[in-house]
Amino acid sequence: MSEKSKTLPKELQLVASAHVKYIQSLDTRKDEYEYWLTEHLRLNGLYWGLTALHLLGHPEALPRTETIDFVLSCQHENGGFGAAPGHDAHMLSTVSAVQILAMIDAFDDLEARGKGKAQVGKYIANLQNRQTGTFAGDEWGEEDTRFLYGAFNALSLLGLLDLVDVDKAVDHVVACANFDGGYGVSPGAESHAGQIFTCVAALTIAGRKNLVDADRLGKWLSERQIAGGGLNGRPEKKEDVCYSWWVLSSLEMIGKTHWIDRDQLIAFILRCQDPENGGISDRPGDMVDVWHTLFGLTGLSLLEYPGLEPVDEVYCLPKSTTERILGK
Amino acid sequence: MPPKSKAAPKPKGADSSKQPTLTPSTSNTTPAVPATVAARSQLRYDDSRPHDAARLKAGLTGLPRDEQAAWISARFARTPAARTRLPPKAQRELWRQVNEASLPVRALRGGTKGSSWGRDRNGLDVGGYSVERFDEREARRARLTCLEVASRGFRERRERERKGLRDPATGEAVFVSEGEVDAERVRRGEMADLRRELYGTVQGSFALDPEWDDVIPIPQDEPEAALAAIAYPADYDEAISYLRAVMLKKEYSQRCLRLTETIIEMNPAHYTVWLYRASNVFALKLPIADELEWLNQVAFANLKNYQIWHHRHLLVDNLYPALAEKPDELARFAAAERDFLTQILVQDTKNYHVWSYRSYLVGKLGVWGSPEELKSIEGLIDDDVRNNSAWSHRFFLVFSDPAHTTPGLVATEPDPAVPQDITSREVEYAKEKISLAPQNQSPWNYLKGVLVKGRQKLSSVEEFTGGFVKGLGNKDGSEDVQSTHALDLLAEIYAEKGDKEKADLCLRRLGEKWDRIRVGYWEWRRKCLEEA
Repeated sequence: MSEKSKTLPKELQLVASAHVKYIQSLDTRKDEYEYWLTEHLRLNGLYWGLTALHLLGHPEALPRTETIDFVLSCQHENGGFGAAPGHDAHMLSTVSAVQILAMIDAFDDLEARGKGKAQVGKYIANLQNRQTGTFAGDEWGEEDTRFLYGAFNALSLLGLLDLVDVDKAVDHVVACANFDGGYGVSPGAESHAGQIFTCVAALTIAGRKNLVDADRLGKWLSERQIAGGGLNGRPEKKEDVCYSWWVLSSLEMIGKTHWIDRDQLIAFILRCQDPENGGISDRPGDMVDVWHTLFGLTGLSLLEYPGLEPVDEVYCLPKSTTERILGK
Repeated sequence: MPPKSKAAPKPKGADSSKQPTLTPSTSNTTPAVPATVAARSQLRYDDSRPHDAARLKAGLTGLPRDEQAAWISARFARTPAARTRLPPKAQRELWRQVNEASLPVRALRGGTKGSSWGRDRNGLDVGGYSVERFDEREARRARLTCLEVASRGFRERRERERKGLRDPATGEAVFVSEGEVDAERVRRGEMADLRRELYGTVQGSFALDPEWDDVIPIPQDEPEAALAAIAYPADYDEAISYLRAVMLKKEYSQRCLRLTETIIEMNPAHYTVWLYRASNVFALKLPIADELEWLNQVAFANLKNYQIWHHRHLLVDNLYPALAEKPDELARFAAAERDFLTQILVQDTKNYHVWSYRSYLVGKLGVWGSPEELKSIEGLIDDDVRNNSAWSHRFFLVFSDPAHTTPGLVATEPDPAVPQDITSREVEYAKEKISLAPQNQSPWNYLKGVLVKGRQKLSSVEEFTGGFVKGLGNKDGSEDVQSTHALDLLAEIYAEKGDKEKADLCLRRLGEKWDRIRVGYWEWRRKCLEEA
């Protein structure tokens, strides 16, 4: 694959060490307004940053013990995790917590010092609506296929997928399939690359990937690539680096990654970097953030850009993690 | 005890407002009026130790004899312990000399090395203030103290009222009136101003509000050296601390509602505050219409926020049972919501949360068949024929309408319940819009979706589709493809009819020229065609 990078202009390379420094600096940005406004995403932010570091080959760049301490401090009695200490438990932060602990191989700490895997599994399982198969984000009941995917992701990592009604959930995902081949947030809602990822990944984890119309979906996904090489999330929308993950991982799962132009996408992602200070933004020239940094890197990893660890297209974790835990 | 002298010694500092008394041959060269309070204190200090400065400069032996004697006498005069060593005759002589020279009997302690005046809000030494400015400052401090005393009185009365105790002075039950609360509010405002002026302290508005006295805010509690520790701006931090406190005790009240509004204003993306607001609205049984009115304004100000739409979802779920019984009101509500959605979509025509809410609403209120809803969507497509969200919603409206569709079918499945005229109508609609902008994904996807749903063959639109492709395969430059989607569909049509050669030509030209970026896909289609 090194021939691919030779076709790129010399100045367009991955500035890996700048990205590492950028991620490390995130927890010191106390003076940045945006940082405290996103307190309710803090645990998620930690997952994004840590995964990026693992893919860059620097898993040690965030201190392991402090990470475990912080994650466990977000856990509630019911086993669920909040986004930050003192925040109510929610599905999304719980999934991030499980993913982080999986990456740094800290499930033992969860047993010894936290509330244990079983309790986490119970929290997640309780969020399933047994009539419809859908999952809520918390006791307030907002439903979204993201939560369904999150539940499958975390439970399978914990080895507790049998706690939920997988078949009912699969039925719900199938009901979200649209006429254009994509999937929406709920039945009848517009096809959206983010939702497509959650639906296809959920079906994959459930072993029901055969239910996806791979040809039609692949076609829809391949149409996400626009002239500049970047990917958008829906027809006639702007390109955004994060779709390098949602679209690409979906293509990878159905085996159609070669249906987009890899070189052009690589070039687009690299143009979205901040070469001096590190980090990646949604499109060239915009402000960077950790979310787009992660998904830019996962995109490059899926495209086998040199120097990056392989990423698991279903779990959005390093392949080394999922291989260790799931024996894939 | 020194024997009483004929002339009482001058009390120290008595003449501070007049010119300082200069004892003979003092080496102070003080100005008539001190420039600063520090200088004034220095003056007073020196006054009480008349020959100290000189002694420090010259040493005791360097002083002239009479000054020496004066200094020694003054020292004896102010140091009882030293005097006890003198025999009575010497003591009498001592006092005679003290009175003659009018030496001070007591001296001010402490030096002026280093200031003990403190610093003002700008970090300046208060000792450097002029006397006048210092007096002003002292007046403010006195005022602040008075206010603090009065405020303390208010809090005590509040406590007494809360506990049902009686006023100790009058023996009557305590009742704190609105007037008193208002007065306290004003008082605290003045106190906050004074504290800011004097010391630069900034107080949070909740601490100033007597309405919140009974709530002890819960500050952020993070583990030591938290991995992602942050410093919050004071206002936000304070508001969140109060939120934690009231959420913990599950208080639902008007003041909590106002608290959620304050926080939402500062950080509309804060997830939990929205849920707590909903709890308050429901617990207080507030009119949902009012809350929706408020929410509309917040929605306009925060177009990218999704909590707003989930909140709306919760409100409508709560409102629906009452509406369901009154069809007129339901229709009115549907119309009002449609108006609002139309307005907000003007600002952001493809907002996923808005559209997602819209499809929820259609389902909840059962208005699939509403001509107004369909017209509204058509309006949006007229505005922008490339609005994929609008196309997607149309499909949902038409092909999930329980009036003429099979319940439980997925969007990709053909539906025998769909009447022929509806299918035809939708095909014509798609064709019309395609003609406006042939290189537009949405209506082509729509067209295919309709044909599948209505169980029509793709070749039923062959003539129309072929109109966008001319001279395919010609090498003389006359090949013209107005729409890659048309060429794609044409390939499918030819394949459906069994004409592999023509189908392959379409696919090959797409990969070679007309849609090169997706050459991987087109090549795969060619291979499938070959293998079929």
